[in-house]
Amino acid sequence: MVQQFSRGQKSQLSAVTPGTDLYIGIALNAPGLTWDVSCFGLDANDKLSDDRYFIFFNQPKSPEESVQLLGEQAGDTQSFRVTLEKVPASIHKLAFCAAIDGAGAASGISSGYFRIVVGGSEVMRYAFTGADFTSERAVMICDLYRKGVWRVSAVGQGFAGGLAELIRSFGGDVEDEPAPPLAPAASTGFGPPLGATQTFAPPPAPVATGPAYSKPSPSQVPPSQVSPPSVPSASAPAYAQPVAPPAAPVPVQPPGYGQPQPGYGQQQPGYGQQASGGYGPAEVLPSQAQPVQPGAMNSLSPYREVPTAGRWTQQNGKLVKVTLGQGPDVLALRGSMVAYQGDVDFDYKSAGLRGMLENKLTGQGLKLMTCKGRGEVFLAHDAGDLHIVELNGQSLCISTRNILAFDSTLHTEVKRIESPGIPGGGLFHFEVSGQGSIVVMTKGAPMTLNVAGPTFADMNALVAWTSGMRVSVSTQVRISRQIYAGSSGESLALQFMGFQGHFVVVQPYEV
Amino acid sequence: MQGTLMDHFGQTQIMDRMSRHGSKIAKVVMQPGQDLFARVGSMIAYEGLIDFNPQPPQLRRMASSWATGEGVPLMTAVGQGLLYLADYGKEVIVVQLAGEGLSVNGKNILAFDATLQWGIERVRGVSMLSGMGMFNVVIRGHGWVAMTSKGNPVMLDTREAPTFVDTDALVAYTDGLQVQPRRTARLGGLIGRGSGEAFQLGFSGQGFVVVQPSEDERPNFSVRG
Repeated sequence: MVQQFSRGQKSQLSAVTPGTDLYIGIALNAPGLTWDVSCFGLDANDKLSDDRYFIFFNQPKSPEESVQLLGEQAGDTQSFRVTLEKVPASIHKLAFCAAIDGAGAASGISSGYFRIVVGGSEVMRYAFTGADFTSERAVMICDLYRKGVWRVSAVGQGFAGGLAELIRSFGGDVEDEPAPPLAPAASTGFGPPLGATQTFAPPPAPVATGPAYSKPSPSQVPPSQVSPPSVPSASAPAYAQPVAPPAAPVPVQPPGYGQPQPGYGQQQPGYGQQASGGYGPAEVLPSQAQPVQPGAMNSLSPYREVPTAGRWTQQNGKLVKVTLGQGPDVLALRGSMVAYQGDVDFDYKSAGLRGMLENKLTGQGLKLMTCKGRGEVFLAHDAGDLHIVELNGQSLCISTRNILAFDSTLHTEVKRIESPGIPGGGLFHFEVSGQGSIVVMTKGAPMTLNVAGPTFADMNALVAWTSGMRVSVSTQVRISRQIYAGSSGESLALQFMGFQGHFVVVQPYEV
Repeated sequence: MQGTLMDHFGQTQIMDRMSRHGSKIAKVVMQPGQDLFARVGSMIAYEGLIDFNPQPPQLRRMASSWATGEGVPLMTAVGQGLLYLADYGKEVIVVQLAGEGLSVNGKNILAFDATLQWGIERVRGVSMLSGMGMFNVVIRGHGWVAMTSKGNPVMLDTREAPTFVDTDALVAYTDGLQVQPRRTARLGGLIGRGSGEAFQLGFSGQGFVVVQPSEDERPNFSVRG
């Protein structure tokens, strides 16, 4: 089965394929643009410390042939063969990049993909388009990297410079033109070449190759360029902290990419950092700690109120701000207001007689209150993770215990999934539809699964799903809880069948 | 060995008297002469020689107010080394006071410098309305304070507009703000079915209020350790 990756997604390679002999195909369809696709074999510091692992058109294979350039074939603009067990231990990352040869911008990509094929069948695909990029002239597409085991990461980062800048950013050095044969190479090998912008001083003579080792041009003999491991460590600080050196050749690098923390919460816009930084300082790794500023107000400034953006604003992962005044009232879970500014009233919201009946029948009664008036209300409940969903006329089925608040313009209705397997004869849920937003509350960071094949979800972990899918109770899949003594054993999985665009949300917590 | 545990969660550089290790652990640098008041039972680890005294004489004078229920059980920590504090996985907020006064909810105080002036006050009006007492620790001076918040907090500026806060979600506020209890529910709402938001505290003046995203209704383990 092909696993579709999206930008920023990471996975262990073993979850994609058990194979280690990989065919990697990269396609870039961009009218009028010519691409140089290359593979950088980087060391633990994300540096190209060994030129022989820069695989490109002039150097089509690494010394032990663990990475080979295969050329254009089978619809791929460029293809590689990677034999992972042959990759030497000094190589920690294989970064697959493409750079435009000549003028152009990466936004001109009409379509492209990175795919891994094992044993003749495609196992992984990361598709991208020019919309992911702007005026960049190079694209870092995908990384295969080692962190304990081999992993794959769909990077999809644009890079402002071309191939030469890309090489420099990885710590390599480039001559502007294919160098005239050996003599100039020998002379430039010992000092910063004229064209390079590197700032560190020329090293003392005994360090043979110096920091400015050259890219092998066709006529050069790669072994003479082998750099001792001391070289990358000498040059590493300049790259490790892109802000520090005044003229390090990476100032255009996208933030976070060059930082030597392979992928944990840094380069991937992972959960908790995605929504325009609005999630605040919550998920700080200890290694990223910042000193506290003096003064109470300054110390607390990381927790400052975020500027209002529309009617619903995500303050942080666990707090949502709603701005009342224009537009409809807001219905919120009773007691979920933690603070407000302005003139706001909170009223008991009667669900009406019909609602009461449904409540009695289903146990899915929502205990709501109406927030009306003018001002800003902060809503939260028991430090649950909150997610604002704009419905835009579509409808969503949601378990009542996961509703925090919604616009009163939305239409809610109790629905039932019938099955004799469910205690009580059916699963009741709310279907919410219309124009407006709903705040979904989950315990823990949820997972949204696209329903492309049969998808199963534990009834107790299920948060929401798009309406219109065929839902049935699966009797075969009895996974959870039954093995534990003392449980009733009646945990059921629901099976979802749907088409493109349907999804299921589950939380990592079984109620 | 390699892994995120070793790569990212290892010891961090010492920056200040107090800093955060991740978002849920407070790290305090202990020096002789710089004693600390910390919540009883909040110590999760320490390095060096640190002594803890759960019933220090300085606190006895306050014992009467704690006896009334919800209080601030504190211990002193004396010694030299690194002290790590946490409170049941809540977020930690570290504040460096530069002469200001801060009133911290008794449930949310984690630690503060013993050199700071401090006292315990009963938040005016709250008990009368809701029937439950609320004690705050008022801290003033130059030094460090660590608080906890269940979930990521938000700081609201009371200079912009009067701010009303659910008493259960209140973490801290600038000492000296005008505090005004407010009842939003109509009288009928008090009987049987209210909006759940009957009482708030209104704050106005020069300062801020820190609010946590949880109405911490359950009583904390007021005595532990």
